[in-house]
Amino acid sequence: MKFVCLNCETYMNFEKVEKPGENTLGVFFGCPSCNAKFSMVTNPGETQMVSSLGVKLGGRTVEAEPFEMTRGTLKAEATAGPSQMAAYLNEKIQGGQPAAAVTAATSGTPGEKSSSGCPFSAMVAEMGLTSSGKPGNAGAATSEFAWSSDAKEKLDRLPSFVKPMVQSSVEAYARKQGYKTITLQVMDDSKNDSSNGTTWTPEAEKRLENIPDFIRPMARKEVERVAKERGMATITAQVMDDVKEKFLKFM
Amino acid sequence: MAIEKDLKAILGKLKYSDDAKVAQQMTEQMRQVQVRMAGIKHKLVVMSGKGGVGKSMTTVNLALAFARQGTKVGILDVDLNGPCVPRMLGLHGQSLTMGPAGAIPPVGPLGVKVASMDFFLDDASPVRWKGPMDVSPAWLGLMEMNVIREFLADVVWGELDYLLVDLPPGAAADKPPVIAGFIPDLAGAIVVTTPSEVASDVVQKSVTYARDMGIKVMGMVENMSEYRCPSCGEVNELFEGNTEAMCEALDLPLLGRIPFDRKLARTFDKGEPLLDETYPTIQRYQDIGGRIRTLLDYKTVLADKL
Repeated sequence: MKFVCLNCETYMNFEKVEKPGENTLGVFFGCPSCNAKFSMVTNPGETQMVSSLGVKLGGRTVEAEPFEMTRGTLKAEATAGPSQMAAYLNEKIQGGQPAAAVTAATSGTPGEKSSSGCPFSAMVAEMGLTSSGKPGNAGAATSEFAWSSDAKEKLDRLPSFVKPMVQSSVEAYARKQGYKTITLQVMDDSKNDSSNGTTWTPEAEKRLENIPDFIRPMARKEVERVAKERGMATITAQVMDDVKEKFLKFM
Repeated sequence: MAIEKDLKAILGKLKYSDDAKVAQQMTEQMRQVQVRMAGIKHKLVVMSGKGGVGKSMTTVNLALAFARQGTKVGILDVDLNGPCVPRMLGLHGQSLTMGPAGAIPPVGPLGVKVASMDFFLDDASPVRWKGPMDVSPAWLGLMEMNVIREFLADVVWGELDYLLVDLPPGAAADKPPVIAGFIPDLAGAIVVTTPSEVASDVVQKSVTYARDMGIKVMGMVENMSEYRCPSCGEVNELFEGNTEAMCEALDLPLLGRIPFDRKLARTFDKGEPLLDETYPTIQRYQDIGGRIRTLLDYKTVLADKL
């Protein structure tokens, strides 16, 4: 923030900050040309703004103390000063009107709301979500595939939010493979199927088993990524060696 | 009456100099965080969208597990409004020692250093900030983020192998993943859940949001998996849910399962934590700690085992 001396047509200089009272700061400026003095006094809101940012008005002159802001803004005793700012505003700015009335009058222009009353309805519609926040077609479990009863049972045991994800990924796999019926075997196979269509030689697959099981999926993805980078569709022992060599560099 | 002056014309003739340097001060604040965090090898956050799933219990026990393996560990409890790490480790009533280099954290069991809002508060008194907080919660958000920034910038951790950050509950528009975004070179997030569907639903949201923020989610810890009856010793399920399926759907490793253990929980409630590493539940935490270390060293593991 700057002040301009309109008489001298020049910026006034920042001089000092004082604390004339609780929740207020007095910032002093002087005109270098006509020597006029100014003090800007902040209201509690502005004071809070500055202290919340942890910055010093007029620039920092001394190093910050540890936990300067935390310690400086914690209330010393448990006297919760109720509605300080509201009272201040009411008194100084709104000329004694109840704060709520002023807020109501200034917020929200009439006719701004959409017919449904929800300001986000347009956005929700655009995202293809229903008002409950779920994808519009999530509930409809109509499937072009026949699910074997055990596969269906396994799917139904999944938590409701997981189910659509699993169902669509299994079906995508089945579609790709040209299956019409989804069995437990298809479900299992789909898990090992990679979206980029890479296949693993039995030897490479076996080597992957050396990796602790909980990081195996990460390792699998990493290997496939390297293979893809090199334009190879099949993961061979050679690709494994390349990945190994790549990671040896990190050791 | 003075003549109307054209401010635009006046300003056009003047050279603006930024004395307040607000942007510069804020850049400096973030640089302080970077400098302070530089001595810490692995920074991990512990989070969950849902409250009450045992984030702090998990954080504290993972910290102790790492410490037992001979590493230097710190816990940053950033749950400003419900800090409980100090009490669990018997550090309640202690405080940060302010010095020229920063705030020195108290040291708990097994050499674990702890920083928490609790150290600034009296018994049973909530955090109360000066200023017109009642007018708008927006102030509070701004304040709290800056307090967290001070916790990151001003605590003298020294050299640490692991810093575990216990985040407050919350999923998306709430702060936790944003707080995590504050931490430079964050190694990743550990997500805590219970096997209930309500919890897993919310936890899933926080995983997605964390990923959107570019935070690497390392894996999931299932807490309160089962309940051992203290009188008859029978083990029963506490919730019905399927964390494995959730992990699979979210493509996350399940780092381990922790039973609801009243005996262990009580020792932490009293601030006299059980440290016996042969105790079964503590062994589970040791296993999870080992898995997290493997994940952190995953490149080395791949080079070694592939």
